[in-house]
Amino acid sequence: MRDDEILTGSPMEDSWVTLEQLAAACTVEPAWLQRHIDDGLIPQAESVAGVWCFSSTSIVRARRMRQLERDFDAVPELAALVADLLEELDELRERVGSTDQR
Amino acid sequence: MEFKDYYQTLGVSRDATADEIKKAYRKLARKYHPDVSKEANAEARMQEVNEANAVLSDPEKRVAYDQLGRGYRPGQEFRPPPNWDAGFEFSGRGASPGETADFSDFFAEMFGRMGGARGFSGGQRTQFQARGEDHQAKVLLDIEDAFSGATRQISLRAPRTDARGHVTLETRTLNVRIPQGVHAGQIIRLAGQGAPGSGGAPAGDLLLEVQFRPHPRFRAQARDLHLTLPVAPWEAALGAVVQVDLPQGGVNVRIPEGTQSGRQMRVRGKGIPGASPGDLLLDIKVVLPPANTAKARELYETMAREMSFDPRAVDAGASGPRSQGRA
Repeated sequence: MRDDEILTGSPMEDSWVTLEQLAAACTVEPAWLQRHIDDGLIPQAESVAGVWCFSSTSIVRARRMRQLERDFDAVPELAALVADLLEELDELRERVGSTDQR
Repeated sequence: MEFKDYYQTLGVSRDATADEIKKAYRKLARKYHPDVSKEANAEARMQEVNEANAVLSDPEKRVAYDQLGRGYRPGQEFRPPPNWDAGFEFSGRGASPGETADFSDFFAEMFGRMGGARGFSGGQRTQFQARGEDHQAKVLLDIEDAFSGATRQISLRAPRTDARGHVTLETRTLNVRIPQGVHAGQIIRLAGQGAPGSGGAPAGDLLLEVQFRPHPRFRAQARDLHLTLPVAPWEAALGAVVQVDLPQGGVNVRIPEGTQSGRQMRVRGKGIPGASPGDLLLDIKVVLPPANTAKARELYETMAREMSFDPRAVDAGASGPRSQGRA
């Protein structure tokens, strides 16, 4: 690659990838990811003809859930509940941050 | 390279049981969890704790670490002897490759960036096919960049294994075009720009998480753009068309008659652009002109005298008969 070459990135929401690639992006194992999608714990996962599209939020969610399960031996449903709360916390912090800014 | 005392990091003794290590790790993982911790440097501390746990919770790595680190003090200059890993077999449990990517040089030198999953035994690396690991980084943009797209230079530290099998960190610089329409928290994928694969397998991807710098006027929530719009009392009371400046030109917004401070107005499709563009959300703020001239005071006094208005009435929006001018 040349030093002046410009690489163009594409948002995950526009990227159709294999389950293995998706699992690597989430830093989880493919079997773990498939199991959690099947159980409805990671919404916004779309699959067509063996390739997948995930929102960025879902990727962060999968990483968080895997970490919670591993660090605290949390059952998947509990990890999903904590992930729900953390997502809400993210949103509230963003709102508070913008209020403080004004 | 400095020696790291993983026992000290987790606050356990060298003869701690696996259960004691697990308990100590969980306690610290809760204390420094980056999503909730109020501790200073929580993210960096969590990384150190994760690294220590990745070694001490894995019996194979722990034995190797204990043997190699005997006699070393924290911070002491450390260099493992050649072929130190002969006689050890790592099965690759614990942290995933993505998670070990940010671990210290000390960890990289001892166990590589594969978190032990590189599959070698007795110093002889086994040839196998494996896709390269994904690399993650953050890219800081201005909200204006989401409207026009942006090109950023990103420096990444990536592990490389030298001829003697030692892992060193190399810095590489990439010029990356961020497409128009990105929003905070979004992950941008650069296919094939992660770590190289092994045995002819493809490279991993580079995943960039978008973050926006704080903006004095705008706040972005997904693709919606929030803005506090100051209006004059007469614009709010009588209605008006006001111009709102946006990163790519202005938009004229009609303020309806009788608009109160705090009202939110939505202008569809004028947020961050994209296949589904976001909306512009205007929080109306009525701003009073100062009564700092004789004329301004006279105007306020005229209103006070001639308008029967009580802002503290139950229905604050309606004028009522109870207020008669100034108190």
